[in-house]
Amino acid sequence: MSGDRTASGAAPVLAGEGISVRFGGLQALNNVSIEVPRRAIMGLIGPNGAGKSTLIGVLSGLLTSSGGRVSLDGVDVTSQSAQQRARRGLARTFQQPELFAGLSIREHLMLAWRVRHDRARMWQDLLLGRAWRRPDRGESERVDELLEGLGLARLSHAPVAALPLGYSRLVEIGRALAASPKVVLLDEPLSGLDGQESEQVAEVLYGLVGSEGVSFLLVDHDVDTVLERSARVMVLDFGEVISAGTPAEVRSDELVRAAYLGDAVDGDKKVGHV
Amino acid sequence: MIAAILAGCALGGVYALASSGLVITYVSSGILNFAFAALAYFVARFYYFLHVQHGWGLAVSAIVSIVVTGPVLGLLLWAVLFRFLRLASPVVKIVVTVGLSVCIGPIAILLFGNQPIVSPPGLAPQPVHVFHVLGTDVTLDQVIVYACTVVILAGGAAILRWTDAGLLVRAVVDSEAMASLSGIRPSAVAIGVWSVSTFMAGLAGVLAAPIIGLDITSFTVLIAAAFAAVIAARLRNMGTAVVVGLLMGIATSLVQRYLPSTSQFTADVIPSIPFVFIVIFLGYSLIRRGAVREAQSLGGPLDRAIAPQGGSDAALARAASVGTAGRRLTSGPLPLALIVVVAILPLVLHGLWTGMVALGLGYAVCFLSYTIVTGEAGIVWLCQITFAGIGAVVTAELATNHGVSVLAAVVVGGLVCAVLGAVIGFATLRLGDLYVALVTLTFGLLVDNLFFQINSINNFGAGIAVPPPAFATSDTTLSWVELAFFCILALVVATLRRSTFGFAVSAVRWSEPAARMTGLSVVATKVWVSALAATAAGIGGGLIAIYTAAAVPQSFATFSGLIWMAVLVTIGVRSTSAALIAGLSFAFIPEIFATYLPTSWGEVPPALFGLGAVLVARNPEGTLAMHARQLEQLLSKRQRRRSLVDVITEQTAELGGGVAQADLAPATLGKGEAL
Repeated sequence: MSGDRTASGAAPVLAGEGISVRFGGLQALNNVSIEVPRRAIMGLIGPNGAGKSTLIGVLSGLLTSSGGRVSLDGVDVTSQSAQQRARRGLARTFQQPELFAGLSIREHLMLAWRVRHDRARMWQDLLLGRAWRRPDRGESERVDELLEGLGLARLSHAPVAALPLGYSRLVEIGRALAASPKVVLLDEPLSGLDGQESEQVAEVLYGLVGSEGVSFLLVDHDVDTVLERSARVMVLDFGEVISAGTPAEVRSDELVRAAYLGDAVDGDKKVGHV
Repeated sequence: MIAAILAGCALGGVYALASSGLVITYVSSGILNFAFAALAYFVARFYYFLHVQHGWGLAVSAIVSIVVTGPVLGLLLWAVLFRFLRLASPVVKIVVTVGLSVCIGPIAILLFGNQPIVSPPGLAPQPVHVFHVLGTDVTLDQVIVYACTVVILAGGAAILRWTDAGLLVRAVVDSEAMASLSGIRPSAVAIGVWSVSTFMAGLAGVLAAPIIGLDITSFTVLIAAAFAAVIAARLRNMGTAVVVGLLMGIATSLVQRYLPSTSQFTADVIPSIPFVFIVIFLGYSLIRRGAVREAQSLGGPLDRAIAPQGGSDAALARAASVGTAGRRLTSGPLPLALIVVVAILPLVLHGLWTGMVALGLGYAVCFLSYTIVTGEAGIVWLCQITFAGIGAVVTAELATNHGVSVLAAVVVGGLVCAVLGAVIGFATLRLGDLYVALVTLTFGLLVDNLFFQINSINNFGAGIAVPPPAFATSDTTLSWVELAFFCILALVVATLRRSTFGFAVSAVRWSEPAARMTGLSVVATKVWVSALAATAAGIGGGLIAIYTAAAVPQSFATFSGLIWMAVLVTIGVRSTSAALIAGLSFAFIPEIFATYLPTSWGEVPPALFGLGAVLVARNPEGTLAMHARQLEQLLSKRQRRRSLVDVITEQTAELGGGVAQADLAPATLGKGEAL
């Protein structure tokens, strides 16, 4: 998967090359390379402990790798901090939702929008009193649109401290999208959602790929959804890439079946999940 | 040299006992007991009360106070307080134990009397026997400290290592969740641990009394020094805590031995020793690990997996929802009404009480510092009063010695504190909540002992005079000037909450990784909010100095700051109205007691302030927001009733029936309420 161009010829929006991470005696990632294509969903699957979240951590800048490089939109961001990468258009969600308990849902989205599009407000609100004025029209429209799209409009002024898991995940996705990112890393965004909610979220993400050209790196245990929605899929096991390609190629890969089901288990009943 | 080391081992032994007691409660319950010094003082004072004041025998007094009262106190506090803190956020845990530390001292004085104690006895019979060892004198008190340290620590280690009880404790320490799944009752273990911990506090207190004297301030300084050993132990390694405690004792003794006993430098160096240890260990840990946070070192993976975000559930949600339930009242008409009332007060009151309004407003401005740094940013600083003291000193220096307008000097004092606050904010950036609280406490003590003791700063105890503004020579006018300062800063706080920067502060407070992934700089956010909070404290200090007509640094002692904090959190740490009420309460209540009640009641106000902070365990948002919410619920209930009555009236009129409204309404209301 390494290289400057994907099979379609377009430069990837996000690329990691030769990434290695070691936690004490554990090799969490070993020379992993990944390319997230533009305007597409890239799936990342693997059993528990495969290194998926670690890879997302390195790509987002929250974890430091012992080797390898990361480039975002063609720019080497390996030495850049997480917030610098975020300002360049990289957003992410977390396996355990990380929300700002003191803010309402709407304020989550407003903050993300302002940091990306109207950073001067950080000081103008205080020094020029903009905090007391109505939000800008562009901001309001974008936030309203996202709230509506994610089904959060009704709850927009609710504090997030007591939200159920499903809603928390939606708020995280909304916050990520409010920053108009080029690429979003989604760490198990569908876990905790029921079938209908999962379908709804997947539909929203798919729609955004087409309408806004956002790319997604989707990590989830709902393998069916990942394979159904992704243009390309990569499979990790024990910190190494064991398969990569189109969903059809991955689905038929023996190594993937073995990694998910184990040699000792009769995989016939579950093969459909892979 | 040997004499110094032997003497140091006695002090070090007390440090070791104290730090071990602190570590054992922290690892088993997640609570760093800031009330440890107060508990030690309480038991030591009780021992003195029995043994000296009532003539009880030494052994009986020791057994009743140390062996019985200490553990019973621990048991009692666990039952009524600490067990409710298990899942509380670090901020609530710190505030509650600080509140406890504030109220226990005054309660002890109320119970046992306020007589001056010159030379409190230890556990050795009087007169104390002196041994001659290796050419140096060793008192029996010192020998008892050595023996107690060795027996308690070696015995404790043996119990933990080789007995079933120790196994249970170690299981709970490693993972409370896994221990519960194995059929162990963590609460039973907690009872035992708290009892042992308060026993150790009492023992340390009785042993320390002959060395440092028997007063609450000395005890708090001693235990604050023991916190250095706890930090070195990264809150959980008892062996390291013991070794560092002993080393600090020996270092202190060697400094006393080899530096001139009468020099100011010696006097300055001794209280700095724990701070030096803290800087060394935190610096080492930061370089090695990048961050020092307590949450990562508690419990096992299962405990962390099931722990709610932010470290608490109910407390977290309630604290976070302040401002939605109660905010409409606490940030709407209430502040304005309060300001109007306070503006009228100087016209209604006379003499001393008008002055209390001015003083209370000075405190209120200082309290806004807590509103910003703790209420908004969720960071617990224990040194706001130090910034206030620095603000007062700068104000006095500029206004009196450099001819600067006093109000301009107040603002400059605030700006000087802003720089210091930014430095503290930056230095504590990668520290967890507890470490920040400990470091700021130690910073405050260091400034108390080094900077505030300089004669040119404190003017030989009298303080540098501060002139009032030319147009505000009366307390009435001064009150209005201070009210204007309060209003400006309260408006800044209100603007902060609505602003993007305020959102950023909240974001960093609740999730640093998510804040970074939103593009926010954690460093800049924390540094700026720290600077803002320190500015408020500095300005408040300057205003207090104007009222008192002098900047007396001793009146800004770090321990008084703990009472400040207790007062504010009792009323509400997130509300500017609460800061105003707390400031006035802190000025008026002690003065009312002093004016209208017997002198012996003088300890009641601090005890009440401390108890108020203890109640934060059950009511993290403070009494003001709680009552505002209750009032709001009551109003909405009445509104619901009224609308139901309207509906029923309309329906009855439409039906044209002969049923009287009054007969129908109550029955329907009942259903409405149930619904």
